Amino acid sequence: MLEAVNVSLASLNVPTLVPMTIAVIGALSILTIDLVKEGLNKSLYVMIALLFLLLDLGAVMDAAGVFASNGTQLGFFDVMLIDGLAILAQLVIVIASMMFIPLALTSKRFHEFSYPEFFALFLFMIAGFQFMVATDNLILVFVGLETASLALYPMIALHNRNKSFEAAVKYFTMGALAAGLFSFGSMVFYALTGSVEIHQIAAALAADNYANIGYVLVATAFLFASFAFKLSLVPFHTWTPDVYEGSSAALAGYMSIVPKIAGFVVAMRLFEFLVNSGVVWLEVILYAMVVVTMTAANIWAIVQNDVKRMLAYSSVSHAGFVMAAVLIGTTQANTGLFLYWALFSFANLGAFTMLWVSRQKQLLPGQSSDHPFEKFSGMFKTSPIQATLMALFMLSLAGIPPFALFWGKIYLIGAAVSGGFTVLALIMALNSAIAGYYYLKLIVFMFMKEPEGEKNYLVNASTSLKTIVGMAAFATIFSFIVVSPLIEFIGGFVYNSGY
Amino acid sequence: MLDHILSILIFFPALAAVLGFIVHKDSMRAYGIVVSGVEFALSLWLWYAFDGSISGMQFMEQANLIPAFGISYLLGIDGISLFIIIMASFFTMLGIISLTETRRIKDLIITLLFLQMTMVGVFAALDAILFYVFWELSLVPMLLIIGIWGGPLRIYASVKFFLYTFAGSLVMLVGMLFMAYFYFQATGQWSFSLLEWYRLILPENIQYWLFAAFFMGFAIKVPMFPFHTWLPYAHGQAPTIGSVILAAVLLKMGTYAFIRFSLPLFPDASVFFMYPVAVLAIIMIIYTAMVAYAQKDIKQVVAYSSVSHMGVIILGTFALNVEGISGSVFLMIAHGIVSGALFLLVGVIYDRRHTKLMSEFGGLAQIMPKYATIFGIMMMASVGLPLTINFVGEFLSLLGFYKQSHMMTLLAGTAIIVGAIYMLAAYKKAFFGNVTKEENKTLKDINKTELMGLIPLTIIAIWLGVYPKPVLEPINNSVESVVQLMHDKAISAEAKEIIPSIAKFETTEAK
Repeated sequence: MLEAVNVSLASLNVPTLVPMTIAVIGALSILTIDLVKEGLNKSLYVMIALLFLLLDLGAVMDAAGVFASNGTQLGFFDVMLIDGLAILAQLVIVIASMMFIPLALTSKRFHEFSYPEFFALFLFMIAGFQFMVATDNLILVFVGLETASLALYPMIALHNRNKSFEAAVKYFTMGALAAGLFSFGSMVFYALTGSVEIHQIAAALAADNYANIGYVLVATAFLFASFAFKLSLVPFHTWTPDVYEGSSAALAGYMSIVPKIAGFVVAMRLFEFLVNSGVVWLEVILYAMVVVTMTAANIWAIVQNDVKRMLAYSSVSHAGFVMAAVLIGTTQANTGLFLYWALFSFANLGAFTMLWVSRQKQLLPGQSSDHPFEKFSGMFKTSPIQATLMALFMLSLAGIPPFALFWGKIYLIGAAVSGGFTVLALIMALNSAIAGYYYLKLIVFMFMKEPEGEKNYLVNASTSLKTIVGMAAFATIFSFIVVSPLIEFIGGFVYNSGY
Repeated sequence: MLDHILSILIFFPALAAVLGFIVHKDSMRAYGIVVSGVEFALSLWLWYAFDGSISGMQFMEQANLIPAFGISYLLGIDGISLFIIIMASFFTMLGIISLTETRRIKDLIITLLFLQMTMVGVFAALDAILFYVFWELSLVPMLLIIGIWGGPLRIYASVKFFLYTFAGSLVMLVGMLFMAYFYFQATGQWSFSLLEWYRLILPENIQYWLFAAFFMGFAIKVPMFPFHTWLPYAHGQAPTIGSVILAAVLLKMGTYAFIRFSLPLFPDASVFFMYPVAVLAIIMIIYTAMVAYAQKDIKQVVAYSSVSHMGVIILGTFALNVEGISGSVFLMIAHGIVSGALFLLVGVIYDRRHTKLMSEFGGLAQIMPKYATIFGIMMMASVGLPLTINFVGEFLSLLGFYKQSHMMTLLAGTAIIVGAIYMLAAYKKAFFGNVTKEENKTLKDINKTELMGLIPLTIIAIWLGVYPKPVLEPINNSVESVVQLMHDKAISAEAKEIIPSIAKFETTEAK
């Protein structure tokens, strides 16, 4: 006869689940409100989402305090893993989400924001990402990833344009493929080691000294491909520009930041032991992928005619740049990853919000996409402050000092230098030079060309959007003040998690 | 206030630029003149307070910027940077006074004031990253100046300028990060402070690589052959004020950085690369002088002659002795004064005729005698006529390199002859002969505003040519300490021999 299962509540360590639960409760309460009373204004839902995210942030901070004093926490049958990486990633996820959700408060009415489901999906998605980063169990990673992705697909499609449907379907198909690859890779690891937890897989593989290296390679290849899809690393990036183009600028900006940080954290957990396992080819493949992603995406970005597509390719390139941190694998590099991504969030938030601010409901005559470069020609003459802000975000993305991303860039290149990756450091630097060209292109259009026809760059602006741009600009200009405390804060968390 | 004079010099124009957004566009020029005038007065005060007998850094300021990564806000100047800072503020002021641009004047002056911040910042920074911040930031206002107020090909020219220099300086950035890493390895601490880097003695092979990385950044900025191709476009398309600032100050960033970074940080590599760099410099001197001769556009003649003279500065720098380096620093000032004046002068006829082609002129000396006189004096200074400012610098630079190689100095010296040829030929085409074009007959001679910009330059060009001591002495003191540092740090016997010890030098003199 089976013994009764006896689980004490204390052993579950429920507090590890609190942040994600708050997001889920938030989503459910939005759905409940909609059930009770229909047709409420979107601003209500934005504020509810914001409030729950604030609570979520508080819970993450609380977890950070616990981590700082007691170290890594396990919970829920050891499925949850709250370490420094989990906390840092959740901070980026929640804070970036808090910055992006007010973008729904545009002065024009857009289809997706009239549905409360949009905001519920948004919170479900955040919970998914939080689960994904707060575990080293491949099954929970999978569940988190799919929760988030399945919420994201309809959010894209809700934008209600032909291109949005195409984008959603494309993203869904690619996502499904990636999910298949992921589950297959995990399965092989399970077959090999009898575990789906990354640290146990690592221990089991090390114990038999990588005897079944062939199978390890197969599993790694599948997992790698699946993450490359999610992180849009070349050559698995092909969906990125189309999906970004089909989504609203606000969501595209969001996609370029939040899902990626979740992906990076899992990649970091996974590749940390694989790179250190001494399997040389893995490092070579990762190296090649990093270099190709940075370089090829930059070159594609140069030839784009639409600013949003350019930014899409540029974010692919940035992802490659940051993936270098996973390759280097030192504490400095891992710290650099979070630093870079935090700074990148602000610059990218600013850039995409500026696009969102200038978004008409209907395409203008003679315009084939929402944000062609020509749309911005002569912007400085008609809207000097907006043009200056946009230029500021472009300069920051290009890594011109003293703006935000420059500090991330030197810290990461510095990590490459001290990690012994001299050639990589040079390639990273030269890629910044290539990237300079297309960021400059927008500045050239805004400042050096003559305006054509009637232009209104503020068609969609509202106070909340302006506030966000202002905050992003402030963070971009004065980031040098917070870089040092950020490095110390992030470095402490990363180091204490053993990465 | 004197304790923070460098910070004030850096951030006063930036603050004024921000406030400038509120000033009405009709009063903007006056505002610009007042701000740049105050800045110039402050820089003169800096000179007054500067102790020329001290060879080390003065007016130092330090604050932690990013302590976790060893980056600090570290400022300080010596005799080498002092005069370039004064020149930067002087030319910004002159540029604004003689500004004839009417399009978007407010934007232009704000951009110029931002540019001034970055220029002073570059020459006052003693932390490598701080230096890099200003160095890169200076590209943005210059990009706008060429790209908005330039000629028909302005966008191409400005983007080319930006990308060339940006790419070069990124390689330099990697070099800086390596330098900081080696410092970290030696001391266990990250630091980007130049003064601390000076204490680090690196193995020769590492020095070679780092020298090459820094060289990429500096050589493109100078611009050295074969990285000079952006410059004729930039000068050709830039408005007068852009060319003036570019020639007078921005190009000096490269040559200054060689003396501040490459020589004292990598003395053995400097000796190792001395002849290759000198060969490039000589090619640069002769080749661009010949190209200058072939130009039809008078501004391009001045632009190429400017590159040619930059070659002499490089040659003097890589003489690696006190005469050469002092000469090259002095020539930086001289070149700034003279080429700045020549670009202003070209601007004068461009404003009147909207062409810079020499074939469009002829006989200008009859119609514009005052203009022709000043142009003549400046041209003589450019050629390096004794008793003019360029002569002192060129003589010392060549004298310095003469100690390293007679033949190469001789080759470089021929460029002075070629220089005289193309300058005189250009002058003859534009100023002598008969007035062939009808529209030239009614040209007005130089006016008071234009004179206000040009007279001081002419006076300086002659004054410092006759009596260079007040400038040369502080430079000399600082250069001596650089050379002594190089001698002390050099590892190889060859380098010890080529780089003279000042102490030894003095004692032999005393005997």
